[in-house]
Amino acid sequence: MMLEDELTVGTRDREGVAIIDLGGDVTTFAEEKINSAYREVTNKGARFVLLNFRQNDYINSAGIAILIGIVTEVNRNHQKLAVSGLSQHFQKIFRMVGLAQYAEIYQSEDEAITGFKRLNAA
Amino acid sequence: MTYSTNPITSLELTLPNELGYELVARDAVAAFARRLGMSLDQIDDLKTALCEACINAIEHGNSLKPDLRVEISCRVEDERLVIEVCDEGVCPFAPKSEPLSIMEKLAGLGSLRGMGLMLISQLCDESGFVSRNGTGNCFRLAFQRRHVTRLGR
Repeated sequence: MMLEDELTVGTRDREGVAIIDLGGDVTTFAEEKINSAYREVTNKGARFVLLNFRQNDYINSAGIAILIGIVTEVNRNHQKLAVSGLSQHFQKIFRMVGLAQYAEIYQSEDEAITGFKRLNAA
Repeated sequence: MTYSTNPITSLELTLPNELGYELVARDAVAAFARRLGMSLDQIDDLKTALCEACINAIEHGNSLKPDLRVEISCRVEDERLVIEVCDEGVCPFAPKSEPLSIMEKLAGLGSLRGMGLMLISQLCDESGFVSRNGTGNCFRLAFQRRHVTRLGR
């Protein structure tokens, strides 16, 4: 029986930013979907990658481990990573585990796009 | 919903040893904490910490064996909510003393997993393994109850 809110993952481009939309729970069961979406946008040449969460989703330590794996790849591929749409609670969790040092946290997708534009212009 | 004037101060749950069932415990204990008047911020912390303790019990203590169970008990002690998560102890859970930092993980010095206990310790007022009669690991989490401020009352 699946008790989790099974993760749906989509990719799209907005103004030169590769957006990976994550809807649902980010747990150990999410690994293949998230890594596959990241590989897809990277193979298309993405320089700026945004992980766009839904406010009410659940992320556990296994999900955080998957995201640390994405940070490893982002560093290796000289990309920039940001996250948006996290609840206040999970923004705090990202700071606790140190993910905020490697991925800028924005409240919304719009703010993230503006942030990436600023970065690109610098 | 109208709550009883004679409040319930304890709750027990038994979970199947399967990943995903920590969410059943999370939702039940969160509802219990709401009835105790705890703040939403604190309930969010409780939910994450409890899930991590349950995952440790399912994955490590009970080694993902489907015929085992995880027992959870919650009780109010003075102004604290105390939660115990106990497994059947196929493996004594013996975490490394110091979890790796994210920088060490990114440098490839160890597993990307293993952040659960660190998260729990930061989210709870008190946490740690406690001795238990019989076999198994028993992990205790405690929260000093911070009540929702009700304006105008």
